[in-house]
Amino acid sequence: MAQARLEAAVAATKPPALTQLPGSSPLMKRLGARLLALPAYQTGTALADAPPAFTEVGLRYTHYSEDSIDQDAVIFGATDRYDIDVTQLWIEAPVGASWSVALDVQNDYQTGASPWFVGAQQDGEPGVIMSGASIQDNRVEVGVTTRYFWADGNAGFSVSHSDEDDYEATALAFDASWNTADDARTWSTSFSSSRDTLNPTQGVIPVFITEEDLDTQSAYFGVSQILSRTAIARIGLSYTLSEGYLSDPYKFRDQRPDTHERLSLSAGYRRFLIDSDASLQIDYRYYADTWGTDSHTVELAWAQNLPGGLLTPYVRYYTQREADFFSVIADTEAPHYADDYRLSSYGAVTLGARWAVALGENWTLELEAERYMTDADWGVFHGDAAPALVDFWRGTVGIIWRFD
Amino acid sequence: MRYKDRSHLARGICLLTMLYLTACSSVKTVAPYDRGYLAEDGMKWDEGTRNAKLKGHVYTSKEASSGGAGSAGGGCGCN
Repeated sequence: MAQARLEAAVAATKPPALTQLPGSSPLMKRLGARLLALPAYQTGTALADAPPAFTEVGLRYTHYSEDSIDQDAVIFGATDRYDIDVTQLWIEAPVGASWSVALDVQNDYQTGASPWFVGAQQDGEPGVIMSGASIQDNRVEVGVTTRYFWADGNAGFSVSHSDEDDYEATALAFDASWNTADDARTWSTSFSSSRDTLNPTQGVIPVFITEEDLDTQSAYFGVSQILSRTAIARIGLSYTLSEGYLSDPYKFRDQRPDTHERLSLSAGYRRFLIDSDASLQIDYRYYADTWGTDSHTVELAWAQNLPGGLLTPYVRYYTQREADFFSVIADTEAPHYADDYRLSSYGAVTLGARWAVALGENWTLELEAERYMTDADWGVFHGDAAPALVDFWRGTVGIIWRFD
Repeated sequence: MRYKDRSHLARGICLLTMLYLTACSSVKTVAPYDRGYLAEDGMKWDEGTRNAKLKGHVYTSKEASSGGAGSAGGGCGCN
């Protein structure tokens, strides 16, 4: 039955002209195999969107480690910051001829300390009071996604729930994409809604709320277009509205507005370079919100095909303008105030690489490492330097098994 | 509260729209059998749903910005 399902899926997606391709060279064999798995917008007009032809089971482990904060910037408390271990497990399978379903489970375990507030040191320079002893927290998220495929597109619905000691979130999301008659253009949209509940735990540092809620609604609309046989581009616009408790309960001087509107414009470009057997990836995002923050993000990547794998080094640049109510040492006389370094003006550079290696026909090994570095002087927006900007390492290893 | 500079936003929307229209005006019709390069793994918009979600989660919890190619999900107590 599984074989019959696979053959049906292949038949539904097989381009008629594929049989005319010269199949002797490794490049043409690789292209032929990938054409069979193409979504409709990248294949021919007579072809249909189809569920995945295989069942996929994946397991990934990620370690995230923040650098210790500079001792000179600390007035009191531990200098070690967060370490987080993330485990992701998923299974995704076709159901019948038109559906797929996916189950995702993620566990995050974090330890470390975080900035509590910023004060003045004896020399007048700002210094950080850290949260003291190490915090430990465990977060579990479970999500189910079901997707329906039809001739000109597909639509998915997902529900997810996450739970940790002091935070609970439930989210619903719907997305859809559909193709134009010539399958050269794909329109996409998505909507999501979430309800978060905070129950801060009383620990080493005092908190001043017992329970608060946060509601978030989000929408996205975008379009991608095939530009040539080797190039494709897309643009998108997303809007998010959050209402409720938006302050950080674990920061001493943090009073934020209870409404937050966010807009982001995104653009992407992919070009395959035949001579290099590699793809150039360019992504850009402009972000603005009602807290006075705006930002630019640019990411460049080079995806190089190698025998049995794909190696993708990348660089990402990010710069943001500080929020209207941010100051290095919070002004508690103002209606809204915060000294959270994440709301300050700064720039950040990420250097990373990921490597996907095929282990036989059914297994894929994924490796990724990146370094994230921040500096107030790297940004294009003016603002005072926050003393607790964070640098971190992230490493990921994953294994994926596909079978029919 | 308001957006810091609405003209930036308007200019951004106009710029992206112009870029898109310019790009689309030079679009060449690509036959179905000639779309093999577009199916390369390196031509995908993201490196995989789970990896993209995790990376987005990390950046969103450490930066003031969020959003991009999709709508938001539930939050977390990441500080």
